[in-house]
Amino acid sequence: MISLKDHMWLESRILENKMQQPLRGIVGVLISFIMFYALWWIFMDVRGIMRWYTPQYGYMYIRWILIVVIWQAYIFNFWPFTKFRETSHPIVSGLGLIAVNFALVGAVIWGFFYNFLGKFSIPYLSVDGLTKLGMTQFYAREYSSLAILMFAAIASWLSPIVPVCFNNQPWHNMKQPARGITVFLVTLFASVLCFFCLMHPHYHVLFWPWQEYAAAYPWWFNFAHTLHGNFNVGWVMCGTVAIWLLEVTFDRYPFALIKNKIVRGIVGFFGVLAFAMLIFFAFNFVQDLSWGPAVDGAKRIYAPDWRYLHSGELAIMMLIPAMILNFYFDNGPKKYGPAVNIALRMLIILVGMGVFHFLYYKFSPGLLGTQAGYSHPQQFPMAPGILFICCMLFHNWFMDFWPGKKRVGHVETMLDENGDEIGKEKEAETGFVPGNLAGAYCETAQPSAVNGKPATAMYKHVE
Amino acid sequence: MSVSRRNFLKGLAVGGTAGYFAMAGVTSTVMKDMFLPDEPVGDDDIGEIKSVKVTQVSETSWFDNPILVNDMQKAGGLLVNQYIIPWTHEGVKIGFNGDNSGGYSALLDIEFLDGSKKKILFDCGWNTAWMDECFKREGVDKMLENHEIDLMFVTHEHFDHYWGIESVLKHHQEIPVAVPKGFYQEGFDLLQGKHFDIAKVKNDYPHKGKVTVRESGKVHHLYPGVASITFDSSIITRVKGEQAMVLNVKDKGLVVITGCCHMGIISLLQEVRHRVKGGKKIYAIQGGLHISPFEDWDPQYDDLIKAIPAYGIEVMACNHCTGYLTAEKMVKAGLPVVQGTARFKSKKKLFLGNGDQVMFG
Repeated sequence: MISLKDHMWLESRILENKMQQPLRGIVGVLISFIMFYALWWIFMDVRGIMRWYTPQYGYMYIRWILIVVIWQAYIFNFWPFTKFRETSHPIVSGLGLIAVNFALVGAVIWGFFYNFLGKFSIPYLSVDGLTKLGMTQFYAREYSSLAILMFAAIASWLSPIVPVCFNNQPWHNMKQPARGITVFLVTLFASVLCFFCLMHPHYHVLFWPWQEYAAAYPWWFNFAHTLHGNFNVGWVMCGTVAIWLLEVTFDRYPFALIKNKIVRGIVGFFGVLAFAMLIFFAFNFVQDLSWGPAVDGAKRIYAPDWRYLHSGELAIMMLIPAMILNFYFDNGPKKYGPAVNIALRMLIILVGMGVFHFLYYKFSPGLLGTQAGYSHPQQFPMAPGILFICCMLFHNWFMDFWPGKKRVGHVETMLDENGDEIGKEKEAETGFVPGNLAGAYCETAQPSAVNGKPATAMYKHVE
Repeated sequence: MSVSRRNFLKGLAVGGTAGYFAMAGVTSTVMKDMFLPDEPVGDDDIGEIKSVKVTQVSETSWFDNPILVNDMQKAGGLLVNQYIIPWTHEGVKIGFNGDNSGGYSALLDIEFLDGSKKKILFDCGWNTAWMDECFKREGVDKMLENHEIDLMFVTHEHFDHYWGIESVLKHHQEIPVAVPKGFYQEGFDLLQGKHFDIAKVKNDYPHKGKVTVRESGKVHHLYPGVASITFDSSIITRVKGEQAMVLNVKDKGLVVITGCCHMGIISLLQEVRHRVKGGKKIYAIQGGLHISPFEDWDPQYDDLIKAIPAYGIEVMACNHCTGYLTAEKMVKAGLPVVQGTARFKSKKKLFLGNGDQVMFG
């Protein structure tokens, strides 16, 4: 047996509203935006202080901040800072855990990649490794940053799968840090495998002469019409967005209805994958409609690889309103059946995505120091988009939505050996409708997706 | 609520089948045929010329690649405004008198069907000391003084293509200037005599002639057989907009001349195909193709090299920001790259260099 708090700290939170809507939501979004803008100005903006958005170098850090925040909150339940998280004022907790996040990101990039993997295995993961081979320092840093951020892109897709799809099964009864370390190692292993299949072939052709003895030829060329790894980056990002939509918008529905958690996890994983592919191909098609078909060998908006990448960028633009709706506006509507609620939320999210898309391309040159235009080989809307998402996660996971909400305790629920709440009664048997929804949701006849507890129970809530 | 496995699977089958057909429908060829427009065929008749001779006044925009890239990195990367980057102007061993800046400029001698001729200066370089020497070498300074050059065609606002404007205006302040839409105020200010201290660029000879700003999205007819097309491209160091020239050489076909071609050579060829009559047959391209200007690489460039043969181009007189690495790969891929002579500080014979000439027609 294990308590819900030990199992998933965030889900056991009891948050009390300190403000009424819509003020609470607006204040929350503003706080996240202020955090985002301060970080952007200090570290990224080409007119700012550190100017790391060169672009790949800064983009790499942003990607890793996202992964590490998932590790901190979802996989390690804030261990070894759980007591600090529980007892500190939200601002202190936020600042402290953000500092830990940044330190871990630095350790991963400078320690694990630059000075370990880059030094002893693959030179393209290290700035020094590439400069020693004669590359200019700038491109050595940009190339290695691209490789390291590609790794992060895969990890951001795979890291949430164990907690979200599998509900941490089969390690759900382990205590921290054993469970965190186990899940971390499993997802790290999966990420490494995927990196070698999805991204490493990109490096076959990046260097001249082609590295045919060290990496496979990009296997996707014949059907994707590009040698660039952006093909995989695009659909992997759609996968990341799909899993978070499942968590924040779909309340893990309908996969939460599958009783066996391992089956639910497997079905959930493939369901998310299928949903990701739907998003990916649909956004590609939307681009074809907007600008005409991609042209082999072209650059910018006509480049096939950029179109794939932009599908991932559009998916991120869809995730942002979904997270705002969930985090700050109570994930409404909630008064209808699950299917109707989800459909209405998706409608709101798509409208929000359109608004965000318009605002981003209209104001980002002045606001973020980027350049006007949809396609630019040196800028990525995903960079500011993901940093803003990180700030919303900081505000929720590290700061309990201060000042709009206050954490007043945790629910005292014990889970049995299956991870189910003890004492929860069985309800009527059903199946066809959720199965039908799951199938449609997955788009292909492949079985589908995810885990147990509705995501709205990411915290308990009292008025 | 628990779930019946049998019912769930039944639902899964129904929903999945419906979903499959919905997805297949959205991405199907039938849907694409229904919603996507047919590829347009160019019908804009720009006329014909007899010939055009291109003299590469300078294709060496900078002399030491790592130093230039390092300048941008120190300033904050590839998106920083070019006018606030402290470029290296001294102490460069392989530079011109220690200065790392050079410049891109070409002279176009056009002969029309009736035998008349016009000259166009295609970009004006960066370092005025270097450009003065290059102009002298090719006689451009005298042509300017004698008002023999009819147009100063600025492809885009980049430092290496435009900041040498003083070297032109010191000889001919009234020369008509054509720039693409997207020029920033700093660019117009430089034309009018402003100094930019951080970037160390200046012009002491304010322009007194006509300035034409060419919009994107249409073909601009300059002379019979000569036209330009502008692209609304966002480019590194905050530059926006670039224009290229299209000339229709009798009995040969279209010749496309570029400065840097940041919009991409395939996009340029496509635009010509879609707008200009005879665009299906592009005979030659000349100038920078902006593929590996810093000898960097991206698999997208391999996509390009694989795609170019389908366009049937007979002469590729590329140079400058095309990059030596690209030229090497193009030659290996069997593309008709014109070799240069590697004189006047051009480093390799892989492509057309400083002082080299190419004749179309």
